[in-house]
Amino acid sequence: MSTMNDRTMQLINKALNTAVYRNEAISNNIANVNTRNYKANRVLFEEELKNAMNGLKGNLKTTHSKHINTCRSIENITPKVIKDTSTSMRLDGNNVDIDIENANLAANQLLYNALIQQASKKISVLRHVISEGSR
Amino acid sequence: MKIFDTFKISASGLTAEKMRMDTVASNIANATTTRTEEGGPYRRKIAVFRENLEKELDRISGQSETVSRGVKVDSIIEDPTPFRLVYDPMHPDANEEGYVEMPNVNVLNEMVDMIAATRAYEANVTALNASKAMFLKALEIGR
Repeated sequence: MSTMNDRTMQLINKALNTAVYRNEAISNNIANVNTRNYKANRVLFEEELKNAMNGLKGNLKTTHSKHINTCRSIENITPKVIKDTSTSMRLDGNNVDIDIENANLAANQLLYNALIQQASKKISVLRHVISEGSR
Repeated sequence: MKIFDTFKISASGLTAEKMRMDTVASNIANATTTRTEEGGPYRRKIAVFRENLEKELDRISGQSETVSRGVKVDSIIEDPTPFRLVYDPMHPDANEEGYVEMPNVNVLNEMVDMIAATRAYEANVTALNASKAMFLKALEIGR
């Protein structure tokens, strides 16, 4: 586990990736706001990540590929795109709520910016070490 | 690449809404057209949208999967509702009783469609700008 590839960096990577996926899904929903019978796309990630993180607590350490792995590691969790078929908001079968999509778009953008800041901070710590703390 | 896919999705939304705007404009322009290529009065046109699905290979599993890639105009259909009959015996296209078949265009409906298309277009522009701001921010990693 190096400084650049520790758990924090892994998580930031995963979360950034998810934000890009989610941005794509929201763009898709907005593009299809007038499409008959279109069902909104949703990105599932946080729940699975939470489960994996919880699983890590009681996890058996694996140091060999043949060891029994008791939970899914973080690398194996990828954002999943699903269709939200549970609701039908309008008469034409479309269930895109443009207000919610816009709110999600803004929230996702802020999350992305926050993650970028975290990544930058992480790198600046490394830079601090490289320059032996003397800037 | 993922980033440019997002732009393409928003762009497809812009194209589709513009197409809808074109049909609305055509309907309003032809609201009183009684002579067309096919004969008879103009029929109202409606743009029908379809979700654009594409097959894509998953990078990790290598399996083919269906992904959403925005929207496309599936077809432009003609409104089958009957024509309006207007009493105007002086009109060259009037029938024996003096009635003229006018296009089945209701200008009020067209205005509502136009506003809906404008708002949807704006929503797509917002999504495009949000994506652009996000990816510009990504260039700042490590600054």
